[in-house]
Amino acid sequence: MMESCANIQERLGAWVDGELDPVAGERVELHLKQCPLCLGEKGRIERINSTLKNTLEAEAVNVPFAPFWAGVHARIVEERSWQVRVVDWFRLTLTPPRLVWAIPAVILLLLGVLSLERFVPGLGFGQTNLASVESIDGHGMNVALLRESQTKTTVIWLFEDHEGENENTPEPAPADPAF
Amino acid sequence: MELTEGDLVRKCQNGDLGAFEELSAKYYRRVFMAVLGVLNHRDDAMDVAQEAFYRAFKSIKRFEGGSSFYTWLYRIAMNLAIDFQRRRKRNATELTENFDDAMFAQGEMGSDPYREARDRELGGRLRAAIDGLTPDHKAVIVLRAVEGLSYKEIGRIVGCSEGTVMSRLHYARKKLQEKLGSDL
Repeated sequence: MMESCANIQERLGAWVDGELDPVAGERVELHLKQCPLCLGEKGRIERINSTLKNTLEAEAVNVPFAPFWAGVHARIVEERSWQVRVVDWFRLTLTPPRLVWAIPAVILLLLGVLSLERFVPGLGFGQTNLASVESIDGHGMNVALLRESQTKTTVIWLFEDHEGENENTPEPAPADPAF
Repeated sequence: MELTEGDLVRKCQNGDLGAFEELSAKYYRRVFMAVLGVLNHRDDAMDVAQEAFYRAFKSIKRFEGGSSFYTWLYRIAMNLAIDFQRRRKRNATELTENFDDAMFAQGEMGSDPYREARDRELGGRLRAAIDGLTPDHKAVIVLRAVEGLSYKEIGRIVGCSEGTVMSRLHYARKKLQEKLGSDL
């Protein structure tokens, strides 16, 4: 019994492309010998293939290699020069003669950045929540300054100089610290 | 002694631009044709094909030889073309004119003017009809018709199974036949 045209036409394209297994291919061939409708369909598939190929080949044949390659080459060279520039920059910068100048320059830069806090308070460099303690000696009394940067609190603490007393004895806490 | 394709690829992997130029000379027309089939615009196709070769050179160190070089190259080119086409829709009129001119130029050298005139006209209509397909359908029909690639190779290039290639081709051919009607 002859297979239906719908079934054959499902596989006709694959048969034209040589992608059907031999058994299925034989069935299609047998059908085509007896069916002018499917034979016409096969011709249309082949015509699409050949016309498309001829049309595109006609367009491509006019494309010379030199300008095509020039476009590809320009992209590659552009990319390379960017890479080369980066590599060159690192090479030049990291050479020993330049590093001799670079090290003090970096140190100076760091010192400059850190000292900015002194002139522009609140920049955040070296600022912590911890209180700082400074101690000075004034008229026989020790003065301790305790500063807390976040709440801007300053505590002045006066206490007697116990120098000369037994240094192993723990220093007694002042009974009434003055604020 | 002439270098094999494998030798040229290895040279390219070591940064040899001359070897890449040789490979480009071998494949540029075929890649351009395939891309043109999808994009249907000469300048865009030229740009995308050049970009494909540039990207191939850039990433050739990652090419391990699991597939042939041209399959790998086509994959880059077709993916670029499909992406490009998805981003940008073009008017087919200008393209049809381009193809008509190209077919005319070819026809002048032929021996059967009547047949060639008919082919030229059909070529223009076919190109316009193909332009109505999705980029995925265009890719399979172009790779099959122009390159004669197997379904397996097409599947590798466009990233789908052989069965999907077969069904896309079937659908694309049906659509083209519907559009072209009695012209075929």
